[in-house]
Amino acid sequence: MSNKTAALGADIAIGVAGPLLVLVLWEALVRGLAVPTYVLPAPSAIAAQVVTDLPLLLGGLGVTLGEAAAGYAIGAAIALALACLFVLAPVLERILLPVLVALNSVPVVAFAPVALLWFGMGPASKIAMVTLAVGFAVFVNAHHGLRAVDESAANLLRSFGAGPLRQMVLLRVPAALPSIMNGLRVAVVRSMIIAIVAEMIGAYKGLGWTIFEATQQVDFLRVWAAIAVASAASMAVYGVVNWLDRRLVFWR
Amino acid sequence: MMAGGAMPGRTIPQPVEAVPETAPPIVELANVSKTFGQGRQEVSALEHIRLAIGRGEFVTVVGPSGCGKSTLFNILAGLTEADPGASIRYGGQPRAAKELLGKVAFMPQRDLLLPWRRVVDNAILPLQVEGMSRAEALKRAAPMFPEFGLAGFEKHYPHQLSGGMRQRVALMRTFLFERDLTLLDEPFGALDALTRSLMQRWLLEVWQRHQRTILFITHDVDEAIFLGDRVVVMTARPGRIKLVLDVKLPRPRDAEIVTSPEFIQIKRQVLAAIEEESLKSFQQATGG
Repeated sequence: MSNKTAALGADIAIGVAGPLLVLVLWEALVRGLAVPTYVLPAPSAIAAQVVTDLPLLLGGLGVTLGEAAAGYAIGAAIALALACLFVLAPVLERILLPVLVALNSVPVVAFAPVALLWFGMGPASKIAMVTLAVGFAVFVNAHHGLRAVDESAANLLRSFGAGPLRQMVLLRVPAALPSIMNGLRVAVVRSMIIAIVAEMIGAYKGLGWTIFEATQQVDFLRVWAAIAVASAASMAVYGVVNWLDRRLVFWR
Repeated sequence: MMAGGAMPGRTIPQPVEAVPETAPPIVELANVSKTFGQGRQEVSALEHIRLAIGRGEFVTVVGPSGCGKSTLFNILAGLTEADPGASIRYGGQPRAAKELLGKVAFMPQRDLLLPWRRVVDNAILPLQVEGMSRAEALKRAAPMFPEFGLAGFEKHYPHQLSGGMRQRVALMRTFLFERDLTLLDEPFGALDALTRSLMQRWLLEVWQRHQRTILFITHDVDEAIFLGDRVVVMTARPGRIKLVLDVKLPRPRDAEIVTSPEFIQIKRQVLAAIEEESLKSFQQATGG
């Protein structure tokens, strides 16, 4: 037990030491070489800016997180339902899968103008784009996981008299959980990126809009402060999903 | 039981008919064949299998690997259709293989325990498939844990168990699925010799107490004779029934029985039949 605790402590120490080292080097470099702020501000300056701009940044973060979360939930739900449906009804899969593959081969950001046109400058267009991006990431993983189920296990359930639906609930979904969680994890980062990029392309609120506006005003310190907040938020959500993953897929 | 002869077994030229004299059989197979693939790639896995199993019987099947034993099981479990022309009667009714889904308790070679389910929840899986509530299924399963040597392990996960214990969970799952016929496909194949012999005696006890009808696949001749009322010897591909031997050793059987003259006598016949088959398939393989 104490061995485990020590190992965990060492893990955390290494995990913290890396980024800390980078920050220290960065600070030293910027100060030593007197790098101008518009090229690269020092971490301490960015931190100070975050504190000054906190109400503005938190407000933006709230908007962005809200859009990302809404798109994430809708996209993940649609993707999971579709993946299950495709496995239950292979005919649907044969018809619709090529369409999905074609859509997915274009970067989601390319749909931004269309999304703005259809859903306006408000949060709806951002949610739509996040839905699309998250949906693909989750679908690809869930679909793969649901199909990769051990054939003998499926046969065992069949021999118990389980129909396709029972097999889905009792075997396929839990067996695909590691794969599904992988998709959900990848989708977290994607959802934040897409929400911010979509805001930069056209919005009145959110972190992406803050970044865009600060760039227009040549306020690079604020740009960096917004990036720092966005990155911290992404990591926090990622950590939560990781924790969930370990709890849910405990047998891996 | 057998007409004449002091021999504890009987040798019948193929195709072999093996119908027990007591009670109507639970399952009756006639002309069951199975070919896989088409044209040049066609492989005949089973040919003209004729077999009947009576209620309460313990029948063991031995044969070289690739003799179609597992195909036979898949047909009986309803997972694979036999070639047209086959006759499968189950409980006196003619059936297509797929109509046997949910009617036969089938334990495949691997334990196939679901890693996300606790031991109890793995054991009651077939009951839940039948639509029984978890609470009721748990009540049904509870008294079986001590019998299966799993008392105190109900809440464990499969990865926390030894190979022998996992196999017992799989067996318990199969026994909880109460059906007229139970198929066990090399359940002890992966266990060490000592555990294996313990499990064999234990299985006989459980079988007698629960009065099940068991068809048991193995490639271990000793195991087949030790467990079975009858031993069915199968040929190498295409799988045919080469020989059916009655094992009239007294029950309950203890470990020493394997050194008794009667046991050795049966073993000699089984080994001779298998030897002949192995030689044949070896010659086939080497183009002789």
